[in-house]
Amino acid sequence: MNSVKRPPEGFENRPESGEKIYKQNPNKQSEPATINFRGRPGGPGRGMGQTVEHAENVTGTLRRLLQYFKKTKKLLVLLLVSVVFVTLTGLLVPALQGASIDVIKEKAWNTLYSYVIMLLAVYAVNVLFTLAQSLIAARLSQSIVKQMRHDLFKKIDHLSIKYLDTHSNGDVMSRMTNDVENVSNTISQSLGSLVSGVLTIIGTVAIMFVYCWQLTLITMVTVILTVFVTKKMSKIMRKVYRKRSAVLGKLNGHSEEMITGYKSIVAYNKQDDVIDEFAQTSDELRKVSIKAEILGGSMGPIMNCISNISFVIVAAFGGYFAYTGLITIGTVSAFIIYAKQFSRPINEIAQLYGTIQTAVAGAERVFALLDEPDEDKTGCEKPEPITGRISFRNVDFSYVPGKQVLYDFDLDVEPGQKIALVGATGSGKTTVVNLLMRFYPVDKGQIMVDGVNIQEIDRDYLRKNIAIVLQDTVLFSNTIENNIKYANLEASDRQMEDAAKMSHIHRYIERLPDKYDTVLKQAGAGLSHGQRQLMAIARAILADPKILILDEATSSVDTRTEKNIQDAMVKLMKNRTSLIIAHRLSTIRDADKIVVMDQGRVVEIGNHQQLLEKQGKYYELYMTQFAGNKT
Amino acid sequence: MLKYIKKYWFFCLLAPMFMVGEVAMDLIQPDMMADIVDKGVLQGDFSLIVNVGVRMILMVIIGGIFGILCGVFANIAAQGFGNDLRKDLFGKIMHLSFQQTDKISTGSLVTRLTNDVTQVQNMVMMLVRGFVRNTVMFIGGIFMLYRQSPRFALIAACGLPFVVIAVTFFLRKTSPLFARVQRKLDGINHIMQETVAGARVVKAYVKEEYELGRFDDANDELCTENLRVQSLLAFMSPCMNIVLNLCVVAVIIVGGFTVKTDGGITPGNIMAAITYLAQILHGITFMANIFQTFSRAKASADRINEVLRSPDIITDGAQTPNPATKPLSVQERGTVEFRAVSFAYPGSEDHKVLENLSFKVEQGQTLAIIGSTGSGKSSLVHLIPRFYDVIEGEVLVDGINVKDYNLKDLRDKIAIVLQKAELYSRSIEENIRWSRKDADPLDIKKAAQIAHADDFICSKSYGYYTPVSEGGHSLSGGQKQRISIARAILKEHEILILDDSTSALDLKTEASLYQALNKEHPNVTKIIIAQRISSIRNADRILVLDNGTVSAIGTHEELLAQSEIYKDIYNSQLKEGGIGK
Repeated sequence: MNSVKRPPEGFENRPESGEKIYKQNPNKQSEPATINFRGRPGGPGRGMGQTVEHAENVTGTLRRLLQYFKKTKKLLVLLLVSVVFVTLTGLLVPALQGASIDVIKEKAWNTLYSYVIMLLAVYAVNVLFTLAQSLIAARLSQSIVKQMRHDLFKKIDHLSIKYLDTHSNGDVMSRMTNDVENVSNTISQSLGSLVSGVLTIIGTVAIMFVYCWQLTLITMVTVILTVFVTKKMSKIMRKVYRKRSAVLGKLNGHSEEMITGYKSIVAYNKQDDVIDEFAQTSDELRKVSIKAEILGGSMGPIMNCISNISFVIVAAFGGYFAYTGLITIGTVSAFIIYAKQFSRPINEIAQLYGTIQTAVAGAERVFALLDEPDEDKTGCEKPEPITGRISFRNVDFSYVPGKQVLYDFDLDVEPGQKIALVGATGSGKTTVVNLLMRFYPVDKGQIMVDGVNIQEIDRDYLRKNIAIVLQDTVLFSNTIENNIKYANLEASDRQMEDAAKMSHIHRYIERLPDKYDTVLKQAGAGLSHGQRQLMAIARAILADPKILILDEATSSVDTRTEKNIQDAMVKLMKNRTSLIIAHRLSTIRDADKIVVMDQGRVVEIGNHQQLLEKQGKYYELYMTQFAGNKT
Repeated sequence: MLKYIKKYWFFCLLAPMFMVGEVAMDLIQPDMMADIVDKGVLQGDFSLIVNVGVRMILMVIIGGIFGILCGVFANIAAQGFGNDLRKDLFGKIMHLSFQQTDKISTGSLVTRLTNDVTQVQNMVMMLVRGFVRNTVMFIGGIFMLYRQSPRFALIAACGLPFVVIAVTFFLRKTSPLFARVQRKLDGINHIMQETVAGARVVKAYVKEEYELGRFDDANDELCTENLRVQSLLAFMSPCMNIVLNLCVVAVIIVGGFTVKTDGGITPGNIMAAITYLAQILHGITFMANIFQTFSRAKASADRINEVLRSPDIITDGAQTPNPATKPLSVQERGTVEFRAVSFAYPGSEDHKVLENLSFKVEQGQTLAIIGSTGSGKSSLVHLIPRFYDVIEGEVLVDGINVKDYNLKDLRDKIAIVLQKAELYSRSIEENIRWSRKDADPLDIKKAAQIAHADDFICSKSYGYYTPVSEGGHSLSGGQKQRISIARAILKEHEILILDDSTSALDLKTEASLYQALNKEHPNVTKIIIAQRISSIRNADRILVLDNGTVSAIGTHEELLAQSEIYKDIYNSQLKEGGIGK
């Protein structure tokens, strides 16, 4: 089970060269909402092993959930039919059993056979429909969940970068892993029981009313008692369970953090402190868990008590009514059986209540995400062919209102030019890329490619003409071939190998046992940072774009290798407009234009020689780099 | 594992005892109910109803109390057991050596600590409560059935094998399927995670539809697999019911005949027999469930044991008197020496990462290490605090072999900033203070100033009290590195090791950071791994590492004159070497 933490309230990320800044009131305690615990089904705990969450808009959510059933209407009808049959035959069985025993009592042997055959028939129907019910429920829940997962992924796929930057990945992920899973389990496991429970209750009550309404009303009193106690109990339990989830969340978070950061702990001799801290939380968890489990475990015995007490009440009043001649004795004994039968579904539904609440809350979160707007897709122009002329005109931009990142940014790039952006961390270099890619819209001013405002260019068309290589290389758990061909699936193997050779990764790949068919595990976790970057460069080469963006693309490649791929880069950049962001000034020395940025403003523009002669900001940066510590 | 349960043996015994009490009360109830119906209601004996009714309610309440108490004791035992196990496991994990955590991934360790412990704990709970309860019910049921009539017991005996066969069949069939479902689920989560984390690349290459297709395929596979399991499981309960129903019919027929022929059975017996039959068969299903939990818990227990039983590989040196107490001359304090050191990662001994390495760093000196990716720089510095042991030669700190030290004493001398800055989700202040608990705020500020972190920390809304989010995602790479460096500086240390920990800083910041470091801590020996020549050219000596061997060692000027590799690196970074000198 995955434990994915939700972000604390007030979480706010601002992307700037990959960094996420968050503002949070430190006094506000965040509450982990999901927990890494679920009582195993079939466990001994008779109570509710789960935290019950409360949905805010139950009816609205349910109505939307129903939309999903629409496509599977037939299955749903079939399911309901099966449930009805299962319930009815279930109700018939005790009657038939009782009748057979009566027959035996009366020694009417001939009729016994017909009863036995009837019983067998009812059993057969019951078994068949039970099977049908389970099979249909499985199919139904899978088809709904499949659709829901598809919708959710499609939405996530089309969310804006802004949304993804401002929400924690874990939060988005947990909609898929936890919430959809919850809905699925509830549909497949609870739907049938719920319907059959309600049917049983209605059927039983109807029969009881026919027998004797007075006694039925008295039985109802005990039902109300059950409901009342369940409600009270679950209220207390919810509190304790919530506390336990909080402690569990804390413990899980703590262990995850400490185990991942274990090397530093060892390096700083902090093992004992960390262990103490862990022991404290662990002890706390033990305490709350014992409390929670005992409460949960008490539910069963208490319910048992109530149902037996109601039995005695019914028996007493029934006996009294029989005594006064209101009903026959046979009615009383039938009543007792029905009253007994009655309490089972009530208990079940009481337990389902929590599960359903959790599922609805999960569905609500899924729908909330589905309601997020798609990334802006306006614009339909496709200037052909794109030559790669880029101009920024008086662009202002801020990620968070009030914190401007770019001020009046102006830049003109001619087709095929090589432009370098330099400046300290936070000066707005990556923001320029974000805007050009239409990951974010500008606040003011405009960006034009080949003289057309990028807002008016077809978004996908624009992006297809730009290739980016980022500092944090993104590789997928797929074959190396698919990773390199990512941008251009139709590329031939020959082209792929050429690209790999150009980026100096071919030799490494050739040494792998499966070569290009090697499947990268965990998004290339086994590769070094440098190797990952080289793969990404190969990918960009194969993409063959008009505009190339390299955002610290070679920062982790050691300088000697970098020197080797320089030729490749020169070839790659030929006839393309390139935008390069780099710390190492040596990589950008031959750029046509170097743009020095400082706190969101362009402070200097010129080529290497011009800027050096100017002895300004660039000169300063350059000197530190070359003169090292001597400045 | 047994050792942990032993501590709670008393509760482990108490719980089933109360359970037996509860079950006994449960078993008595039908009798009393029958009394109420047969003697009370049917014969109109109202006072008997009240009498027996009150007694029954009492019994039920006592039974309920027993049940709750059983829960109390079972929980004390299971939770206590789980807690002890968890704490020991965590302690053990914290004392594993690097080579062990390299082998078992950290992710897996977290799962073992959280999931596996819960799994085993559930099993203890189930054993103490469910197992006992069902065994009693099962045996009691058979006994009662036999008492009704031996023939009925015979019917049950005929039915039982079928149930057992069915249960084993389904268990066998489904458990590998469950594993497959889990794998498919992981697959889906993977794609999901990649798409979210790599959204920029997906969008930049306009691959939304492609990713959706990939996801849909995985989704299809998962649903198909899930459907297969659920469909298979759908047959389980009907199968059991068929056996149960046939047994019931058999009981009615046989019962009827018996009543007809020898009359040893009453209709009441038949009614009771049906109830007991159901009880026995349900007992078996429950046992099957327990079995499943048990096998799952067994796997978990194995995984936990693997960690608990892993030997301590890097242990305290045995030398007495403790070498750390040896009085050191000023010159000795803070020296690091490698004597003919060779090193290979455990498990790949034939691939030596470092070979025959010898050099010495004097107190207060700065040694810089440079070399291409994979040349063994990190491995080299990891040998100093003894994260790994050498396979040949020796590493000396303060003139004493690191193997002779008490680990704690050795590591207390060294402050190391790892390549991957590890921060924890607490405030920035606490993150820095982490290396020296009793540091006062001024010290912390001072350390942050040296590390050039003070400025950006103060610009945050809550200054030093700004919380760091999990994994430090709220900070940029450079900020994380500077906080880690501040943390290292705060620690009282003789030797400072920076493992490529200034890579995300711009050159100016980096340069003045080193300057401040030299000024404030002149006596600390510094070992610095760096990629950029400009970061290290002022070091007292520079070691050029190539393929695990010392290719050259000397000052910047010496190396420029002598080392081809160094010159090569230098030129690759500063093409027009003369500029800036």
